[in-house]
Amino acid sequence: MIVVDRLTKTYGAKKAVDDLSFTVSPGRVTGFLGPNGSGKSTTMRCMLGLDAADSGSVTFDGKKYSELDRPLTHIGSLLDAGDAHKGRSARNHLRWIAATHGFPASRVDEVLQQVGLQDAAKTKVGKFSLGMRQRLGLATALLGNPQIVILDEPANGLDPEGIRWTREVMRSLADAGRSVLVSSHQLVELSLVADDLVVIGQGKLISAGPISQFMTQHAKTWVHVVSPQFEQLAALVSARGGQVERTSDGGDFHGITAMQIGEIAAANSIVLHELAPQTGSLEQAFLDATDTAVEYRGDLSVTSEVAK
Amino acid sequence: MMFNAFRSELIKLRTTRAPKVVLACAVFLPMIIQVLISMFGYKDGVVGSTVISNMSGSGPLVALLLGVVGVLCSTQEYSQGTIRITLVAIPHRFTVLMAKVLTMLVVSCTAIATYLAGGLALSQLVMNARGLKFELIGSYGRIIIGFFVLVPLLSILGLSLGIIFKSPPGAISAVLLWPTLIEGMIFGLLSVALNKNYFRWAPVQNGFQLVRDVMDHELNSWGIATAYFASFVSVFVVISFISFMKRDA
Repeated sequence: MIVVDRLTKTYGAKKAVDDLSFTVSPGRVTGFLGPNGSGKSTTMRCMLGLDAADSGSVTFDGKKYSELDRPLTHIGSLLDAGDAHKGRSARNHLRWIAATHGFPASRVDEVLQQVGLQDAAKTKVGKFSLGMRQRLGLATALLGNPQIVILDEPANGLDPEGIRWTREVMRSLADAGRSVLVSSHQLVELSLVADDLVVIGQGKLISAGPISQFMTQHAKTWVHVVSPQFEQLAALVSARGGQVERTSDGGDFHGITAMQIGEIAAANSIVLHELAPQTGSLEQAFLDATDTAVEYRGDLSVTSEVAK
Repeated sequence: MMFNAFRSELIKLRTTRAPKVVLACAVFLPMIIQVLISMFGYKDGVVGSTVISNMSGSGPLVALLLGVVGVLCSTQEYSQGTIRITLVAIPHRFTVLMAKVLTMLVVSCTAIATYLAGGLALSQLVMNARGLKFELIGSYGRIIIGFFVLVPLLSILGLSLGIIFKSPPGAISAVLLWPTLIEGMIFGLLSVALNKNYFRWAPVQNGFQLVRDVMDHELNSWGIATAYFASFVSVFVVISFISFMKRDA
């Protein structure tokens, strides 16, 4: 289990992480979300002792990272797929890491096979595609067969098969009782694999808990209705305080439940062809939850005279 | 942990091209020069100096190139981002630093041993074949000790500068330009301006003094030069250690 307790990290005048607390439980995949610059990577670096926190603590099964004996056997991490010498082969890259813990060369070959890079073992990392580098980064994380895995954007640059494979790896690790913390901007993918979510914005915690709880709190819900007497139903729903949004085949009702609409329809002998409760996507929920915490926002209305 | 860290550092050095090329240049370039001297020098058949005296002329070259290897040992970690993986694998930064220092000591001592043994052996073969009368070392055992002091220290200086600069161009420039240009300018100008021999206190020149066959009396004696040069390197080692221990990766 990972316990992050009141972690704070400041760079100059900027608070990158601000009094952040959350836990990552064994047997679960925890998604770590936040807009760009929200402090996800800084938090991960502080967790692994790469950056010194100003205050607060991070413990792994009760121990600080620096207190762990043979840390790669406890925690595997992938922070940046680019963290590899471009002139070194994949196998040699893993060999020097394995040497820090006295792992045999056979373990290097094993993880290369696990991530599907056995045929590229002697290829220099500089010739790798981004997807292959991600796989090599995952191999690094899995080298010590750790109980806790921390992954920063592991699916970045992977093809659909690679994305599915990453998802399966994370799921199988969690199913084996391991704690998996994964940051990603691929929200659809995350929604397929994450059990819990930790959402931060401008270094502060916005939400932490099961993904269902996050969706209940932040995702929009509405009811899609198709009826030959739609206008009559819309008037009745409006009178009960619901909002109506027309669509090509009927309309969406907001602020009222499917059960209430069904009762209104039954009471007024209105025929319903479709009565479907809808929930917004994780992406929409995430955007709504972090809307006030977005630090870098584009403005497409800005166009230079030259471009015109 | 320390032994594993040391093994890991050796693998890092062995599996990238740049340190291997520079190391090969440090060992074989002066060795080739020595063989050429043995082959084509002494046309009149008289060998006026020991072989080790001739080899000592290459001391600064060997030392500077090992300094570059030291720079690469540290800066490659930053330029390629592997420092993060290193520190995740070995969270105790002091262990990482000591492993790097130990690696440079072993690599530089091995390089000197190879250069000296190879150079002396090849010279003997060639000069024997030419029927020349010569002495290999004579009373110049001091030069051999000097090699084993100067070169490891300069390689550790390179390592320290690499940790301080983090980028190869800056650190390599410093390790090459300071002894060959900047030091001479600073201490030379000081000597002229203040009409006193301040060149005596040019640190790396004191280091080079250790492998001179004829001691430069403008500089310090062998013992003082050793202590002074070692102190100079120690200052950079301490600065680099402090910055490495505190710096965010």
